[in-house]
Amino acid sequence: MNHDIPVLQIGPQGEVMAHGVDACVHCGFCLPACPTYTLLGDEMDSPRGRIVLMKEVLERALPLEDAAPHLDRCLGCLGCVSACPSGVPYGELITAFRGWSEPQRQRSPLDRAKRFAILKALPAPKLFSVAARVGQYAKPLGPMLPAALRAPLDLLPESVPAMQPSPALTPAQGPRRGRVAFLVGCAQQALAPNFNAATLRVLARNGIEVVIPEGQGCCGAAALHTGARDEALKLVRANLKAFNPDDYDAILSNAAGCGAGLKEYPAVLHGLPDEAQARAFSAKVQDISEYLYGLLRSGDLTAPMPASRPLKVAYHDACHLAHAQGVRMAPRQLLRSIPGVEVIEIPEGDLCCGSAGTYNLEQPELASQLGARKAGHILGTQPDLVVSGNIGCHTQIQSHVRRQGSRVPVMHTVELLDLAYKGEL
Amino acid sequence: MSPEKQGLKPGLSRSRPRSEGNEAHPLGAELTRLLGPRKVLSSLSERLNYRYDAIQFGVTPVCVVLPESTADVVAVVKAARRAGLPIVGRGAASGLSGGAAPMEEAVVVSFTRMTGLQIFPERREAVAQSGVITLKVTEAARPHGLIYPPDPASFRTSTIGGNLGENAGGPLCFKYGVTGDYVRGLEFVDAEGEVYTLERDAYDLPGLLIGSEGTLGLITSATLRLAPPPVHTRTLLASFAEVGACAEAVSAAIAAGAVPSKLEFMDRACTNAVEDFLHLDLPRDAEAVLLVDTDGDDLETVQEELALVEAACVEAGGKVRRATTDAESAALWQARRSVSPALGRIRPQRMNEDIVVPRSVLPEVVREIRALGDASGFHLVQFGHIGDGNLHPNILFDPRRESMEAVHDLAHRIALVAIRYGGVLSGEHGIGTMKRAFMNDAVDPVTMSALRDVKAALDPAGALNPGKLLPDPLPAVSSQEPAHAGS
Ligand SMILES: Cc1cc2nc3c(=O)[nH]c(=O)nc-3n(C[C@H](O)[C@H](O)[C@H](O)COP(=O)(O)OP(=O)(O)OC[C@H]3O[C@@H](n4cnc5c(N)ncnc54)[C@H](O)[C@@H]3O)c2cc1C
Ligand code: SF4
Ligand code: SF4
Repeated sequence: MNHDIPVLQIGPQGEVMAHGVDACVHCGFCLPACPTYTLLGDEMDSPRGRIVLMKEVLERALPLEDAAPHLDRCLGCLGCVSACPSGVPYGELITAFRGWSEPQRQRSPLDRAKRFAILKALPAPKLFSVAARVGQYAKPLGPMLPAALRAPLDLLPESVPAMQPSPALTPAQGPRRGRVAFLVGCAQQALAPNFNAATLRVLARNGIEVVIPEGQGCCGAAALHTGARDEALKLVRANLKAFNPDDYDAILSNAAGCGAGLKEYPAVLHGLPDEAQARAFSAKVQDISEYLYGLLRSGDLTAPMPASRPLKVAYHDACHLAHAQGVRMAPRQLLRSIPGVEVIEIPEGDLCCGSAGTYNLEQPELASQLGARKAGHILGTQPDLVVSGNIGCHTQIQSHVRRQGSRVPVMHTVELLDLAYKGEL
Repeated sequence: MSPEKQGLKPGLSRSRPRSEGNEAHPLGAELTRLLGPRKVLSSLSERLNYRYDAIQFGVTPVCVVLPESTADVVAVVKAARRAGLPIVGRGAASGLSGGAAPMEEAVVVSFTRMTGLQIFPERREAVAQSGVITLKVTEAARPHGLIYPPDPASFRTSTIGGNLGENAGGPLCFKYGVTGDYVRGLEFVDAEGEVYTLERDAYDLPGLLIGSEGTLGLITSATLRLAPPPVHTRTLLASFAEVGACAEAVSAAIAAGAVPSKLEFMDRACTNAVEDFLHLDLPRDAEAVLLVDTDGDDLETVQEELALVEAACVEAGGKVRRATTDAESAALWQARRSVSPALGRIRPQRMNEDIVVPRSVLPEVVREIRALGDASGFHLVQFGHIGDGNLHPNILFDPRRESMEAVHDLAHRIALVAIRYGGVLSGEHGIGTMKRAFMNDAVDPVTMSALRDVKAALDPAGALNPGKLLPDPLPAVSSQEPAHAGS
């Protein structure tokens, strides 16, 4: 698309944005892939519409505040990226745009406080855990609170598990076949500690030594995608320092959102001195399912024990796994490697469940419509189990499935493998 | 000419009004009162996004209405009439002729929320409101053992209303026909806000509305014919060292009695653009590639037909590759569906021609257009539903470096080739603003005046989608108004 974006004034992130706008041929193929377009049916809340809005703001033809409501509604799910045949890097465009525009935003004090709290709590597992517990007690007050405060409470699981410390080194069982570094993640340590425990057990069982490097922290994706670029840069650089890619066969994440965040580092640092370092780092990043699938393909995956009865597993594609990282087949094949497991597809599988990043907190209304829609589709398949590879989807799906009266277990891919290894499936 | 209208000329788009266009039009306020705030968009950030389709940016509408029922549409039409403002209907705005882009201050009626759909398997019919996405009809019909055959490459995005507006076709239309062939009845609202419910008997008024690009009425719902899907489908890909040879193979295969369900052609530039994007192992060196499906309920016949096509291709000097699995055919068809957007990676803008010529003259036409393109210095590519002679020569250009005038001139010369060989200007994308100026070349004055009479009968005030389809009554204005910006 033609544009007049003053790239030189904006700098390297201006280049990233101009490239995104340039690449769009305006065909509209992305429209039906977009959850907000699907719900709202209007052009401003579609990917193509948002690209035009960003272009207009960058060209100073439209005040930022006018475009903001529609850009804020974007989940960052990247469904549009999978659908776009012209290869428009929409994710890079909106992330760069949010970073560029946030300092110019005029937000209400309540809004500001909420964003501050989210950005501080998410990357700090301990703080998050405490906050989650406090929230737990506040839950009964929910109905009396304004929507903005109620939303985060609705999201909390029925019980918040105790924090489990992660060992700095998990040795391989049997002969050592590989050595990986693991990013433990933030919210997930507080909300679902078993994801990490299962991951360590499954890797060890396969002869992989796992290092949890000291000094690592939040991947920075939440900060980045909400426009807190300076905050994000700090987190990104801390991780670049903590992980030396040369020391490991791979750098693993078991949260799709974090994995996608790590893979995004080169775009974040585009045009900055540490861009090359980011490239070397990101080249080593893999989702846990990709890594294990690598073992499966080379015949090196320790065979899981069969399930005790045939299981219909509804596999939910986390957006940041499927759309952002293009990882679709690996988790399915891993699940199928467990004898007795049948993987079933969820209708409208490519549409986000509504939990993306901080969306539940910022757009509770739409998030909840999407969550309900997703839960309905999932329950329609009558699964024995629901599996996804992302903590955000996990919490969202669990909460909406429960709301629709089902007790079906919701798990992470590695949890299922872990159970199969233990013979408990 | 308003400053915004100048924005239509690429390169001159700098003088678009900035946010001062923000003040709300009184009609927006009135419609909000009538229909409620959810259905009416008045702020600039909302309206801005209703000035374009997939090819052209037009004038920002004064307000946008997202109706949810026929009654809503009636209310907008009547209010716009009172306010003296024209109305532009809009589906998914995937149109490639500027049809949904307003050319002057107008109200845009966007049908994307009118998505009611019912399937009546016993009658083999679907009743779809105009905002239903094309593919959804088949998705809803499939559990009943039925499909909706019209399949424009945009079928995941485009709406039934837009398909009717353009009488959209697709790869399947060679054997199964275009949108209009599947319409049993229509409900539409005319320029005065009257609602009509019509079958295709007596005067075939639905036929008149189909392909009228929103210039005769706003379609609110359609009764569509469904069909059982063929049991077997087989796919082949043939590559040729020369474009004319490909066209010859097509003519020979059809003459030999094959009725393939799909016959699609891509030239070298298309194949390479798609290959760069999808990496499907397409033959990069071939000057032309032909993609063919034969289908039917009897496997033997399906394979015989494929063999006929294969023989014709080999005879014309082509190399043939049969798809051995469903996945392989699916990949090949994905390649074809991705041509249009993949071309956007070569040059930022393109002028998409949409001519149809008799099959017997295909080789000459394809060669002549190729020669015109080579001589012009533009990056010209050709693809299309070659089975029914529908070709899409595309001129790819960069408005920052290349002259619009020259693009327009080349497009005009391509159109003249089609007309000279007994063809027509538009197969499926419509006339819109893109080919309005060429209408005088294609349609004789008596017929043109009949078209104007029809328009005057249904829309005396000229309120429905002005600036589209019919050229201005004055002599052709082609060189002053190269109205095809966008991408
Ligand atoms: C990549 C790509 C590939 C394409 N491939 C094909 C193809 O293979 N075959 C093909 O035929 N087309 C194709 N098209 C063109 C386009 O998709 C079709 O013209 C389609 O029918 C437009 O539908 P829409 O819903 O997007 O309509 P729009 O673009 O919104 O509107 C099209 C026209 O219909 C009118 N209209 C819309 N809704 C109504 C209504 N309810 N009542 C009255 N008038 C209405 C509009 O005013 C306009 O004139 C392609 C487009 C793209 C971008
Ligand atoms: S990222 Fe998701 S929500 Fe945002 S525009 Fe793309 S598809 Fe829509
Ligand atoms: S699919 Fe890609 S090129 Fe087409 S409108 Fe969407 S972003 Fe632009």
